[in-house]
Amino acid sequence: MKKFLAVVKREYVQRVRTKFFVVATVLGPVMMVLFTVAPAFMAGIKAGGPTRVAVVDQSGKLYQRFEEALLNSRDEETERDQQGAAAAQVNSNQQERMKQAGKLGEANFDVEQIEVGNNSLDQIKAQLNERVRKGQLDAYVIIPENILSDGKAEFYGRNTGDIFTRETVKSRLSSAVRDERLAAEHIAQNVVKEINRRVELTSTRVSERGEEKDSGSGFYMVFGFGFLIYLSVLLYGQVVLGAVIEEKETRIAEILFSSMRSFPLMMGKLIGVSLVALTQLTIWVLTFVAFSLFGVGMLAARGVPINLPHIPPIMFAYFGLYFLLGYFIYATVYALIGSMVTTTQEGGQLAMPVVLMLVAGFYFAFPIIRSPNSSMAFWASMFPFFAPITMLVRIVTETPPLWQIALSLAIGFTTVVFLIWLASRIYRVGMLMTGKKASIPEVWRWVRQA
Amino acid sequence: MENISPTLVLENVTKSFGDFKAVSDLSITVGPGRVFGLIGPNGAGKTTTIRMIVNIIAPDSGRIELFGKSMTTALQDRIGYLPEERGLYRKMKIGEQLKFFAELKDVDNQKSDELIDRWLLKFQLSDWKEKRSKELSKGMQQKVQFIAAVIHDPDLLILDEPFSGLDPVNVELMKQIILEQKSTGKTIILSTHQMEIAEDLCDDICMIDKSQKVLDGRLREIKRSFGRNAVALRYDGGDGVIDDPHLVATVKETNDEIEVLLAPGTSAQTLLHRLVDSGANVSKFELVEPSLHDIFIEKVRENG
Repeated sequence: MKKFLAVVKREYVQRVRTKFFVVATVLGPVMMVLFTVAPAFMAGIKAGGPTRVAVVDQSGKLYQRFEEALLNSRDEETERDQQGAAAAQVNSNQQERMKQAGKLGEANFDVEQIEVGNNSLDQIKAQLNERVRKGQLDAYVIIPENILSDGKAEFYGRNTGDIFTRETVKSRLSSAVRDERLAAEHIAQNVVKEINRRVELTSTRVSERGEEKDSGSGFYMVFGFGFLIYLSVLLYGQVVLGAVIEEKETRIAEILFSSMRSFPLMMGKLIGVSLVALTQLTIWVLTFVAFSLFGVGMLAARGVPINLPHIPPIMFAYFGLYFLLGYFIYATVYALIGSMVTTTQEGGQLAMPVVLMLVAGFYFAFPIIRSPNSSMAFWASMFPFFAPITMLVRIVTETPPLWQIALSLAIGFTTVVFLIWLASRIYRVGMLMTGKKASIPEVWRWVRQA
Repeated sequence: MENISPTLVLENVTKSFGDFKAVSDLSITVGPGRVFGLIGPNGAGKTTTIRMIVNIIAPDSGRIELFGKSMTTALQDRIGYLPEERGLYRKMKIGEQLKFFAELKDVDNQKSDELIDRWLLKFQLSDWKEKRSKELSKGMQQKVQFIAAVIHDPDLLILDEPFSGLDPVNVELMKQIILEQKSTGKTIILSTHQMEIAEDLCDDICMIDKSQKVLDGRLREIKRSFGRNAVALRYDGGDGVIDDPHLVATVKETNDEIEVLLAPGTSAQTLLHRLVDSGANVSKFELVEPSLHDIFIEKVRENG
């Protein structure tokens, strides 16, 4: 036990004291902000002035409505049908924010009508193409005569790769056409609006504790946590790998083995590195929580209503436990791989397929949400490599009996210990076989031999 | 020696890796307070033998007994081991590394600080305590590794090639410290290729070749049993006499004299007669004990 603690202490102290750790701890949140906020921000920027669009209206009825639609970005829910159920369930703040972001992405337009007059369509097109080539115009739209019945129009532009502009033109034109069709049937505008109003669905969860308002936030938390596990495995898996390989590279392994068994050594390494990981994550999470509380406080003080998702405390315990399980089970895979290879690069490549199992866990999440008590849900939440995601999904959707949760945790942590035991055997024999890479049959022989 | 219980006993120890037999049917006895030389060519099985003694690998069959007991993890703390493949944590300070190794050998915390300082002083490394090991020369690192092996004051010290990579001054320092360790009653197992050093330090020798023991016993007795068939010579003239294979088995020329090993069945007298008959002017003719080096080479050759 004392030797085990000595290993834990060494791994921890030597790593936490490095400049790299300090820098990473400080820069981590900064980078995260850069990578999440920056792309959203960048997408909202449209360089240059408004998009210049010419419209050739052969039908002679639509230009007015189309221009209006393009110039006043219309906020009709009907046009956002595609965003579907998930978005609708996000609480109202979030929905508001998404609309804001959507608006930022929308292009603004300079619209110009081209009179057809006596010119043929080909002549007009030739003229417009010339203007587009010269850069006087960005795009033009040809609305054919029978658009109301055919529902087809043509879009020509220099940059057809600009999907945002194309999509906006398409949806605005659609709404113009629809309005025109309705007008043709003598249905008033405000009636249309009334008909199209969406249903609001408030969901309430019925559980042992009675009725609870549920905005689906637990579900998003699972994804958030899954991502956190994934991130920490990616970040620290390599560190675990490096720690296991270190003694091979520095040839200290033999001295260690002459002083202690390989199992406590391997376990000590895993725990030591993991404590480093937890230290760093705790600092990050506390920073995050502190900032968000501060932010929420600020907004509340300004009278912005914010309803924080209501999460029962027991959830935090579950999240904590499954985070640990998820982290440890994948970190252990890195330790196992480290025991077989001689360089970190090699190990990193081998570990990738296994870490992708975590992603596979996400795929199970969808069928499980729909039927959280199916036998597939049960088995998927018992399999230790999926449990951190799948069991959490079950817990937030329809909490399974306690024994199932306990069983999946027990299976998970037993697997961790077993994998470490396996790794320690492979490590000890592999190290003694000089520094060559091992094939799978060889590794199997080592396991039995040690 | 028979009355004192031996420090280490190996009885019919065998170890194979797959089809490869690394050690076969090896039996040795190491008495307390002795320096025991484990010698043999590369790949003979020395390191495998040592690894079994320090409990890194288990023998397939046979028995290993240390201090009269079967090997346990607790007994590991009474062994100090300097492996042939050795290293240090590159980015760790020397003082901290030694403290870590001491902890692994169950040394008391306060005691280890004191021991580390004393040993660093002895090896003139006190100024390097706060340095990282990557800043040290190879020789210095080796001295630190040696300290790591002795820091817990083990009863049995196993040194695998402790002199490789050391300059002559440090070889002398290391020899002196090994003898000092012996004088405090420790048993020492020394594995080396450097026969001159083994000859200087060892009381007992075990030689293994191709996984088998080919020779063992007290160094004195081994040398005596090899008989007085080596002759140190200095002479002028007498060309061609020592090139006669019926007379001389091997010739070793140093800068001012020649050492020959007589062919089987040839006496020193015959050689002297032949030299005198051929008109050589002999200024030195001395029967010498064969060096361990000669014995080593002869045994390896014999073993084919």
